[in-house]
Amino acid sequence: MSLKQLNAAGFEEAVYNNGEACLVIFSRKECHVCKEVVPVLEQLQPNYEKKFGFYYVDVEKDKSLFQRFSLKGVPQILYFNGGQYQGKQAGKVEEEQIEDKISDTLK
Amino acid sequence: MANSYDLIIIGGGPAGLSAAIYGGRAKLKTLVIDKGGIGGLVNTTREIVNYPGYAQISGPDLMNEFKKHADTFGVEFLKGEVVRADFSQAEKKIVLKKGQEFFGKAVILACGSEPRLLNIPGEKRLRGMGVAYCATCDAEFFEGDEVVVVGSGDQAIEEGMFIAKFARKVTVIVLHEEGILDCNKVSGERALNHEKMAFIWNSTIEEVLGEENVEAVKIKNLKTGLTSELSCQGVFFFVGMVPSTGYLKDSGLEMDKRGYIPANDLMKSNLEGVYAVGDNRVKYLRQVVSAAGDGATAAVAAERYIEELNDFNRNVMQSEKRVLLLFFNAQDNESLNYCSALEKSTKEDGLDCKIVSVDMATKKNLAEKYAVKSIPSVLVLDKGMESHRFEGLEVLTCTQWKSILTN
Ligand SMILES: Cc1cc2nc3c(=O)[nH]c(=O)nc-3n(C[C@H](O)[C@H](O)[C@H](O)COP(=O)(O)OP(=O)(O)OC[C@H]3O[C@@H](n4cnc5c(N)ncnc54)[C@H](O)[C@@H]3O)c2cc1C
Repeated sequence: MSLKQLNAAGFEEAVYNNGEACLVIFSRKECHVCKEVVPVLEQLQPNYEKKFGFYYVDVEKDKSLFQRFSLKGVPQILYFNGGQYQGKQAGKVEEEQIEDKISDTLK
Repeated sequence: MANSYDLIIIGGGPAGLSAAIYGGRAKLKTLVIDKGGIGGLVNTTREIVNYPGYAQISGPDLMNEFKKHADTFGVEFLKGEVVRADFSQAEKKIVLKKGQEFFGKAVILACGSEPRLLNIPGEKRLRGMGVAYCATCDAEFFEGDEVVVVGSGDQAIEEGMFIAKFARKVTVIVLHEEGILDCNKVSGERALNHEKMAFIWNSTIEEVLGEENVEAVKIKNLKTGLTSELSCQGVFFFVGMVPSTGYLKDSGLEMDKRGYIPANDLMKSNLEGVYAVGDNRVKYLRQVVSAAGDGATAAVAAERYIEELNDFNRNVMQSEKRVLLLFFNAQDNESLNYCSALEKSTKEDGLDCKIVSVDMATKKNLAEKYAVKSIPSVLVLDKGMESHRFEGLEVLTCTQWKSILTN
């Protein structure tokens, strides 16, 4: 997998300390829909190099993170900029929707 | 051509992977296309206890074994969603969402099924915000919550009990009279006696309510017509599955009202060289073991079909000489006599042509393709193009053939 995986500490660092403009997908190994959405992100990632971060959180490993955002399902893509939460997308989302949301987040 | 294959399999669940194993082993150049992870629906199954040879195994582990097995036979895998198929030519065209095109001599459809949506207000909007379809994926997010389960089949009741490991309370909405569930007896009894499970009978849900997240559902009692609200943080829908065959709508493929593909005992669809296997075909039992069996059957049928196709191309379509394509029945004496008479009449004078005989009993495909209705029939083909057709037992004389073939 080409998305960088974050644990709770890494999440804190990237999203809040560095205030990176980025997205974080909350996913799990055995989820069917996640397996469709993760490759879409992997393909998009190179187009945004140095402009927008792409991260991955495994909800099985880092429970505290999904509890903190009171998520109710995977996959779920959360968007951040300057340490601010910018919204999320749940379930099966299409490439175009993700691109739109990234440009919204970068505004 | 790099994007040209003997066999293209759409879907990498147990049906598709089994077909891939047989296809690869038969040395067919085989490609499996799947939009998600290899393993299909089985990946979301926590535990499988009815696949022969494995007393107990997790779904993903079993599918890993299938995948590894297919790898040993040199099968290629590609991640991508098929959005269109054109089966009208001998080389069947498969188009992916990103526009890539692939060509296959034979295609096996193994797309499985997906959860049916009720299409009620709030269901789509709150998907992932409390609306869920997969307990393995999402049950854990409802730790200490109140959850509603819609449906009463095996999946609803068994997944409901799994959700109850996390949730504080699970309320099952059942269409039927009190005490009647659609699931198997054992699970039904366990669920009815489960301390965290509650049941609302004669009812369905009409709407999922909530701003950001699910806050409640609107329940309608079908007997009294009254509606009520039940507060909850999650709703799991288990109201059956629909085949993932929507993208084949305009392909000429025959499907039933619900989108399942009828296939014969060779797994052949109504189209030549197109097969349907596993959960997306009309069938009695939708399980891993039967999906695997379907896959094996279709791959063998496809192999034979491809072999015939290759033979035919070599002997007929690319033949330098003109071809007399003879349709006969090997079990019928008159028909056999006709064969030898034809051979004789064309050989006598060393006519410049080749006889290719086709036994109607085993090669129905070709008879269909050339719309041959009666036997014996002789078609005169030049590079595959029909110039004359003779039906019936009368054998032309050598002179007659000569005048036809020199024209
Ligand atoms: C909760 C649950 C529990 C189950 N438990 C058991 C059990 O214990 N034992 C058992 O034997 N069976 C069980 N089953 C049934 C079993 O999972 C299915 O019968 C089996 O998965 C069918 O296999 P399949 O290959 O036909 O389809 P699937 O496994 O559904 O695979 C189809 C594949 O096709 C892909 N696909 C679909 N459309 C496209 C497209 N347009 N382009 C590219 N790829 C596409 C999908 O991504 C998917 O990977 C269970 C099912 C469920 C839902």
